[in-house]
Amino acid sequence: MITATSIDVHELTKDYGAVRAADGLTFRVEPGRVTGFLGPNGAGKSTTMRIVLGLDRPDSGTATVGGRPYRAYDEPLRHVGALLDAGAAHGARTARDHLLCLALSNRVPASRVDEVLEESGLASAAKRRVRTFSLGMRQRLGIAAALLGDPPVLMLDEPANGLDPEGIIWIRTLMKRLAGEGRTVLVSSHLMAETALTADHLVVLGRGRLLADMSMDAFIKEHSRPRVRVRTTEPQRLRSELTRAGLTAEPDGPDLWAVDGATPEEVGTLAARHGIPLLELADDKASLEQAYLRLTADEAEYTAANTAKQEV
Amino acid sequence: MSVKAVLHSEWMKIRTLRSLLIALLGGPVATTAISALVSATEDGKRSDFDPVFSSFFGLAFGQIAAVSFGVLAVGHEYTGGGIRVWLAAVPRRGLYYGCKLTVVGLCALAVGLVTGFASLLVSQALLGDKGVGLNAPGALRAAVGCGIYLALLTVLASGVAAVLRSSVGTLAVVVPIVTFLSPVFGATSATRFLPDQAGQQVLHTAPEGPLGAWTGLGVLALYAAAAVFCGRLAVERRDA
Repeated sequence: MITATSIDVHELTKDYGAVRAADGLTFRVEPGRVTGFLGPNGAGKSTTMRIVLGLDRPDSGTATVGGRPYRAYDEPLRHVGALLDAGAAHGARTARDHLLCLALSNRVPASRVDEVLEESGLASAAKRRVRTFSLGMRQRLGIAAALLGDPPVLMLDEPANGLDPEGIIWIRTLMKRLAGEGRTVLVSSHLMAETALTADHLVVLGRGRLLADMSMDAFIKEHSRPRVRVRTTEPQRLRSELTRAGLTAEPDGPDLWAVDGATPEEVGTLAARHGIPLLELADDKASLEQAYLRLTADEAEYTAANTAKQEV
Repeated sequence: MSVKAVLHSEWMKIRTLRSLLIALLGGPVATTAISALVSATEDGKRSDFDPVFSSFFGLAFGQIAAVSFGVLAVGHEYTGGGIRVWLAAVPRRGLYYGCKLTVVGLCALAVGLVTGFASLLVSQALLGDKGVGLNAPGALRAAVGCGIYLALLTVLASGVAAVLRSSVGTLAVVVPIVTFLSPVFGATSATRFLPDQAGQQVLHTAPEGPLGAWTGLGVLALYAAAAVFCGRLAVERRDA
């Protein structure tokens, strides 16, 4: 269902010369949760965001916010806030002037400029020229600009880029709060550990195609093989029993086996049946990173094949 | 969207960039100072001495400031992918472009009129008994025409910058046309129709050649309109 603040991408296709950046993309970003937007470089994440913002024109298909094209919004900053590029603010302007120029165009009161400067931790640097800013501060300024119109929809392209650890915690908390307030939050990132901590839902692209659109838990479950770590006093006997059951045990430490493709239930039952004492039995849950790399191993355009193999 | 709000935003963008203010104010300063210098040393004995036109000698330099202002006002928008931020704020591109050029043009016109009157009055004062007053034939017309000339040249430069989307590239195209072609080739039947030569007819007491004072400005206006139109197409159609 199209809600007043969902982002809807429908059959979106966009070519840049010979490169197909978006290839029949269809997905919806729902409000009230943080949606992680993943995919290797060149997968089409930024392209999709630019098309949603009406900056690039699709060759076919549509992209709408709340059922309307972005250009149809009268004062769009009050509906959609976006961070595309940390370098976008002109270096010779002060942070406050940059935000003020934006605010004026959409009739956002100047008091709101000071609010977002405060919120993004830039209040003390408000009158400094942007060219004196670190990458992290520019990123904060870009996020302040996205928040300017207090929009119900936010699209952030790599917001954690260049942020210090404190900044990363800030952006993580901010995104969760915004989603908790019922806003639509779409965040692209290459930082899997960070995405695992913030996103509830994932949209994964590869070479312009949709590879996955599902909850974080479902994604990890679907794109990882079960794996069990087991410690026993009789490693050799357990290993031969596992092999007989068609499972492969690999050493993972002293007296410790890692069993690929097995669940704790299988291994525990098998050990009990043969009277092998277990000292430890753990479900070795895959991380988002492992699940993601497994999915995109074939799709990664710029990753050497062997690098991907090592990582998975 | 509110046109007033977008105009206000565009005005703020100019006000908050020092390089634009320097380019804007550099025009009257350079034009008046150099014209004054020339007028102070002018003996007025040449047969073709035109007291009105000679008070705009410095315009050859001042107009480069006007061109720079027009180019930078648009070119600065594109640095570092900044255009995406501005077009996301004002996604109706015709409105964005129209408001920007309106503000740029009005700034250039206001400063251009100051340039015209300052250069004329200071030069006439320095010319002493060879000088004329504002009520002399063509004098008032020249001062006002100087303002219009600079405004049109600025807007022309902005239009080219919107097509090329680069300050350096645009300066490399526009500056040689207004500083190089005319001096090198002089006033031939063809170069009289170059934007600068056509537009500068208005600065003479009695324009000679095929173009009159106002028709010359009209020719410059046509160049400017063409550049603005091409810029509009580029802004409207290209991916940001």
